[in-house]
Amino acid sequence: MSDRMPRASGYFRTGYAQEMALTKTRLERASLFVFVVLLLAFPYFASAFYLDLANQVFLAAIGALSLMLLTGYAGQVSLGHAGLLAAGAFTAGILYKEINAPIYLTIPAAAVTGAVLGVIFGLPSLRLRGLYLAVSTLALHFIVVYLGGEYETKRGFSTGITIDAPVIAGFRLYGGKIWYFILLTFAAGTLLICVNLLRSRTGRAWRAIHSHETVAEALGISIAGYKLLAFVISSAMAAVAGALFAYYRSFVSVEAFSLFLSIQYVAMIIIGGMGSLLGALLGAVFVTLFPYLIEAALMKLPNAQSYAGLLFAVNYAAFGVVMILFLVFEPQGLVGIWRRIQTYFLLWPFKHKPVAGARK
Amino acid sequence: MTPPLLSVDKLEVVYNRAITAIQGISLSVQTGQIVAILGTNGAGKSTTLRAISGFLGIDDARVTEGAVTFKGQRIENRPPNEVTRLGIVLVPEREKVFPNLTVAENLAAPFAPSMSNAERREREDLIYHFFPRLADLRTRTGGLLSGGERQMLAVASGLVCKPELLLIDELSLGLAPVVVEDLMQRLLQIRKELGITIVIVEQSAAVALEIADYGYVLENGRVVLDGDRERLTSHGDIQEFYLGQSSGDRRNYRDVKQYRRSRRWYG
Amino acid sequence: MQLFVNIIVLSSIYALIACGYVLIYRVSRVLNLAHGELMMLGSYLLLTTASSFSGHPAAAIAAAVVLSLTVGVLVYVFLMRKMTGEMALAAVLTTVALGILLRGLMVLIWSAQQQYPGQALGFSNPAIALPGGGRISTFAALLVLATALTYAALFFFLRFGRWGVRMRAAGQNPLLAAQRGINLHAVYALAWGLSTLTGSIAGMLISLDSGLTNTMVIIGLKAFPAALVGGLDSLAGALVGALIIGAAEVLSIQYIDPLLSDVVPFLILIAMLVVRPWGLFGTREELDRV
Repeated sequence: MSDRMPRASGYFRTGYAQEMALTKTRLERASLFVFVVLLLAFPYFASAFYLDLANQVFLAAIGALSLMLLTGYAGQVSLGHAGLLAAGAFTAGILYKEINAPIYLTIPAAAVTGAVLGVIFGLPSLRLRGLYLAVSTLALHFIVVYLGGEYETKRGFSTGITIDAPVIAGFRLYGGKIWYFILLTFAAGTLLICVNLLRSRTGRAWRAIHSHETVAEALGISIAGYKLLAFVISSAMAAVAGALFAYYRSFVSVEAFSLFLSIQYVAMIIIGGMGSLLGALLGAVFVTLFPYLIEAALMKLPNAQSYAGLLFAVNYAAFGVVMILFLVFEPQGLVGIWRRIQTYFLLWPFKHKPVAGARK
Repeated sequence: MTPPLLSVDKLEVVYNRAITAIQGISLSVQTGQIVAILGTNGAGKSTTLRAISGFLGIDDARVTEGAVTFKGQRIENRPPNEVTRLGIVLVPEREKVFPNLTVAENLAAPFAPSMSNAERREREDLIYHFFPRLADLRTRTGGLLSGGERQMLAVASGLVCKPELLLIDELSLGLAPVVVEDLMQRLLQIRKELGITIVIVEQSAAVALEIADYGYVLENGRVVLDGDRERLTSHGDIQEFYLGQSSGDRRNYRDVKQYRRSRRWYG
Repeated sequence: MQLFVNIIVLSSIYALIACGYVLIYRVSRVLNLAHGELMMLGSYLLLTTASSFSGHPAAAIAAAVVLSLTVGVLVYVFLMRKMTGEMALAAVLTTVALGILLRGLMVLIWSAQQQYPGQALGFSNPAIALPGGGRISTFAALLVLATALTYAALFFFLRFGRWGVRMRAAGQNPLLAAQRGINLHAVYALAWGLSTLTGSIAGMLISLDSGLTNTMVIIGLKAFPAALVGGLDSLAGALVGALIIGAAEVLSIQYIDPLLSDVVPFLILIAMLVVRPWGLFGTREELDRV
């Protein structure tokens, strides 16, 4: 794992098995257990509103994790993530409308669509880097969304495609509580896949490409192969998130996948903290809940109702401000803040970490 | 003794907040002198010059200790454009001209402090007087110049900034000896006619000591030896390791080690 | 003939906007994705000055022009200046965030409704019949003229103006430029100011011609392929790129499918990125800058 520093003082690894273990100390295991129990118990206490928020967070988390793999680890910038989500959602929607396909077919189909699109999104990355790559993904986003819109108008669903709640073995997947568990499972699964990918050869290859392409190539890493792989995996995950979104909302429309959504996903990984899965999760939570926090804050003001029409604009402006603040003042994101707090307590009563190779 | 034009006092520069490039270099430059800074690759010569002329944010380098004083004013860690306006101009080692600008544009781009158009034209004539070749090349693009022409243009565009102190990094790099000889004579002429003080950084001691009044030898980021031209040219180590003149008999490894040991005393 | 007029007008719009992308990219290697929003801000500024200088349209336009120049400089001084020395990508994302912020603010201040600064200024917009049977509205004609003038002025400034030469110098080698006494911050601020100014002029003329809504941002975004197809660091390229994009868009609306209008620029962009990523007139080594 990337953090060389033991998470608890006095803890040092004594074998390779320990290095590979997902949880390292008893405290970690205990807190993970408590966290899981809380997650599982949550739907039994929460209101429908909070349940919906949690579900949105899970959906965003899948998308943010996949983008983090691509951008935060493999270093390939994408401004077209919403296009991939749209592709997944439309695959599910179209298959449902045209051949009435069940959910256990549409979700894998969405993943395949995502993977194929991933190759297409990834091809420019073999020639382009940085800015130009970002621009090419931006252009692809517009093209995917155009194709979706084209389908809507040509088939006469100009307001969008409605999808009925899917049925598996006579059981109707409907309601916030059921979807809470479905989405939680998918989000946890994505997280597990990401964690394992990153500590395998693939993850190391991605990180090598991110730090220096030429050096990575000289070390015998197939640049083209791993770049495409990053795009394929990330896009497949994003497409699955899109398909789940379609089922959860029972509705697909191009309007939901604007450029702003792409930017929101980029914002998630920046605000969360580049190069950290925890960052992707924190970013997903933050960006998803942010508009609701703004709304709640606005409603506290005197004669709140008169502002209601402006809510959307306030959200936009506040979101821009937050993004700028993070980019300028905290490029490491929420994870950076979290790590600083962690180190503070870990090193207490000392103040600074001894820097390896520090002067004098 | 009059206070020096430029004095560098126990200068220390750190790159990327981690790598110490020079540690505790001190030099002083008197008005009207030509001072040579000698040393091999990585000795810290270029870094010293860059520290005097100022770093940009993208360099990620800082003067962490010591002082650079120019005409009684502290100038370390000032941005390059301010240092240039104070009268210190650097001719860098690489990328010393704007490749996509013509020669005339290269000479027009530098910012000269409060200069009227007449003064500017006068300055231009002066430059073409020192480097008549550039006048013929006015419309040629900087990237298409030969190495020697490029070096001329670099010095010339430095002169546009009206320097009192000209810092030149590796004048002789990649140039034929006859071209270097010519450039050195131009520098002497510039000093004589404009009274500009010059600091040159060189790997080639033979070239530098030909025109320099005083010299410093740097190794591993420290000054290991300094003195006027007579002292340096006659110094045994310099003769052997920089001028390549052996005193006749074959040297063996022990002598080199002897030198390595002895040079610590200079630091 | 009308088709030809449409192509020229649309290309002029794109060209006038695209030169803003080129200016900033060429001088500071930053891609300004907030350009569309800044352009829109320019037309809203005109709306405001039109109501405060009612009866003096010339004064209103002059004030709006000065204000937009100031806005550009302020954006650099208060925001982008902090991003110098950071990764190019962080700077781009900052402009994206700025765009979102501006979009929100503009709706808050001026609402999202369609507005007509032309009416506020008391201008009418009669169509002019052209020889050959085409028609062009007055402000569209003015826009074509403004584009021609802007490009002529920019070419002249960058070629012969002392600060223009300095801008080119800073774009080629910022360190050497600083060592030659050029204040990089001044040059960058100037680039941002000029870029916002040209964008705002485009925005004002578009809004005078066809009203002002917040969909104008899309036009700004579609002008970006024009800049890239021509080469992000080439003014002449932006002109050619705008012509290609404009023609392709008008022709595909006419002969294939109106829905395509929002995609065609990006299809061409992708094609260009595959074949010649540095654009028609761009410098090749730009590609490696990340």
